[in-house]
Amino acid sequence: MTNVPHNKDLATANSGREGLKGWLNPTRYGWERVSYWLQRLTGVGLLIYFIGHVYETSSLTGGINAWNSMLQLTQTLGGHLFLLFVIGASTFHTVNGIRLIFTESGKGLGKPGRPDYPYNAASLNYKQKSGIWVAILLACVAMLYGGMVLFSEGG
Amino acid sequence: MAQLRLRESQITKIHYLTGILALFAVAVHILFRLIMPFGQSLTFQNVVANYHNIFYALLLEAILILISIHGFNGLRVILIELKQSPKWDSIITILVLVAMIGIIAYGTRTIVIASGL
Repeated sequence: MTNVPHNKDLATANSGREGLKGWLNPTRYGWERVSYWLQRLTGVGLLIYFIGHVYETSSLTGGINAWNSMLQLTQTLGGHLFLLFVIGASTFHTVNGIRLIFTESGKGLGKPGRPDYPYNAASLNYKQKSGIWVAILLACVAMLYGGMVLFSEGG
Repeated sequence: MAQLRLRESQITKIHYLTGILALFAVAVHILFRLIMPFGQSLTFQNVVANYHNIFYALLLEAILILISIHGFNGLRVILIELKQSPKWDSIITILVLVAMIGIIAYGTRTIVIASGL
């Protein structure tokens, strides 16, 4: 009878899973990987903001003084810069998320073909790459507009 | 006992749907801040007046539910991607569901009180 090793460390080492180390490994970064990272980072950031926003708006139930003191914390240079980050993150997450919906439904992936040199993957074509660039560009435009609103008179 | 268990493909569809619906709902929410100078739109009187508009209150509730489902499911996906085991899967799913229900309940409390329902 073959003796199958049950060592937990060995099993983990052979599983090919890298966990967070795999995420942080910068040696295999292409645009798709940058987009993968940004989608997750912006997603987690926006979830944290959302929880903070729900808590922040709950001060409304404490009356005008509670609301105004909470508003004083956010209506600052730091608060506005943070909001600009939120605008950029939410725009990128939305546009890139729409790209991912198309990708996962098989749209814009390119046709499969024989792997010939230089082995360019059909899935990583210009449509996919331009989608990532459009997401970044629109995030910058949204941040610019947000900055104009936040830092203009009455902002 | 019959157990409600969604397939991962069904959860993914819910994730996409909540994301797309949240996009439109949040766009209207932001428009409410931009139809007048931003600072003025955040005054206590204006915000309370917004909450007293039943359609806006319902929109806020919809945003609260949509983003909670989308956001916490996204977090679940990230955490399950990092480590895989049935036990880890169950723990993460339960924690995420509790956090999601907690945030929805807390946000709903604010909407109900502020809208004077």
